[in-house]
Amino acid sequence: MNMVLRELKASSRALIIWSVSMFLCVLTGTIKFTAYTTATSTGPSINELLKTMPTSIKALFGFASFDMATMAGYLALLFIYVELVAAIHAALLGAGIIAKEESDKTTEYLMTKPVSRAAIVTSKLVAALLNVVVINVVTLVSFLVVIPLYSKGNDISGEVLMLTLSMFVVQLIFLSLGAVLAAWMRHPRTSGSVATGVLFTAYFVARITDMSDKLRFLNVISPFKYFDLGRMVAGNGLNTGIVLLSLALVAAFTALTYVFYQKRDLNI
Amino acid sequence: MSVIEIKNLTKNYGKARGIIDVSLTVEQGEIFGFIGPNGAGKSTTIRTLLGLIYPTSGSARIFGKCCTTNPEVREDVGYLPSEVFYYDGMRVIDLLRYSASFYKKDCTKRINELAEIMDLDLKKRIDDLSFGNKKKVGIVQGLIHEPRLIILDEPTAGLDPLMQQRFFELIASENKKGATVFLSSHILREVQKMCERVALIKDGRIIKLEKMSELQGNNFKRIKVEGQSDLDKTIFDMPGVSKLENGGKTASFLYRGDINNIIRKLAQTELSNLSIDEPDLEEIFMHYYSKDG
Repeated sequence: MNMVLRELKASSRALIIWSVSMFLCVLTGTIKFTAYTTATSTGPSINELLKTMPTSIKALFGFASFDMATMAGYLALLFIYVELVAAIHAALLGAGIIAKEESDKTTEYLMTKPVSRAAIVTSKLVAALLNVVVINVVTLVSFLVVIPLYSKGNDISGEVLMLTLSMFVVQLIFLSLGAVLAAWMRHPRTSGSVATGVLFTAYFVARITDMSDKLRFLNVISPFKYFDLGRMVAGNGLNTGIVLLSLALVAAFTALTYVFYQKRDLNI
Repeated sequence: MSVIEIKNLTKNYGKARGIIDVSLTVEQGEIFGFIGPNGAGKSTTIRTLLGLIYPTSGSARIFGKCCTTNPEVREDVGYLPSEVFYYDGMRVIDLLRYSASFYKKDCTKRINELAEIMDLDLKKRIDDLSFGNKKKVGIVQGLIHEPRLIILDEPTAGLDPLMQQRFFELIASENKKGATVFLSSHILREVQKMCERVALIKDGRIIKLEKMSELQGNNFKRIKVEGQSDLDKTIFDMPGVSKLENGGKTASFLYRGDINNIIRKLAQTELSNLSIDEPDLEEIFMHYYSKDG
């Protein structure tokens, strides 16, 4: 418990900054919705403009399959970026929290206390999990507060809840990915960069596979594609099978984190 | 049961040398010195012993248990690393309270006692402390739970002479209360003062493990002679003489062997002065150290 509190304290400032950024990201993103729907005096609405764009360009920006004229459709687009932010946070946090003792040279302090390495990993992962939950809740609440300000008509809280739930699973995947990299790599300090590298690769895979159906098999390596945002904004909820598979992946990464961390020669 | 038991411990870092076939035991209540130049493998030995790194072969046990499989054995160990690093943004007292939270006893009283002895300001932020003061935090941190085994790695680096003295008094009083002390250092003087037994390590191997009294004892004498005229070099050409420095009328050397032999030899020349001293550990150490390298 003492170690969990220490980790929470150590990450508190960063958590506040990420939370505020997340809120601003949701706010500014949602404000732009009006630009997509209203035809201005100088030209057509963006939705009409989009129709004239080639599919590959639309795919690159994530517009491919959503109806921008509805708040739900627009949300699915905005959510790609929100999810990206949350995933970066999770990956950096997972890598950082495990690598920290070695990069801050506090290994000799902590690892000579009468606690097992497993207990240390558990405390760190619990603290990281709480951080990720906070970011997720902040995202959910931000959407629930901001959307009614700009969306006329039907309530889409249900869809928002589904989206943030799917985002939570994606966060867990990247959190455990960061952690396992930090536990496995010879130089854990660089695990954050590697984790974000993997993340951006996954992100671009997600964009590229939108271009052509032939590339869809690549989606398996991109957690950003595990959940079909279009399906969720259509009110169809989460695919239970995929949720379970994703959680199995998280469990595998977490288990490996313990194995690698226990075996490693700590850098001092 | 020995407090520390290291058996044929070898640690390789890839191709780089770590330690090779290190064996030693430290008994209850002892102050054991671990001496060697920088990079000889002292810290590697300690880190393997504490379970920070894994041995390539051999074993290292504390109170009969291995730190990696039985981390709870560290409950009774206090460790002062050679370089101390702590978490950012903590005050001294925060760090000490955090340290205390790992042990099953209330350490508050002890924290205040130790801070007083080591003249440490508990309210200061650790980031603002000098190297020496950080070291003091390390000392207090390592002793708050009254460990039965104290492991010190280059403990005096950065401490001023007054604090060094207080520190050694503190360690001596802990030892009197029953704590076993493992003191690693490259400064022979402090080991000489404190330790009953000593192991010399060089290039990853233990080259000598002896009682301090024997190491210093009758084996070696530091002999200085001054002749009335220039000394004949051949006088010193005999077994047992080493580290000979001969310059005109004066000569200085280490002698190991029957003292009568050297006295008879010296009696053949007219001397104006003669001194025979116990050599300090440094000289003995240099003797072992230079013998094969």
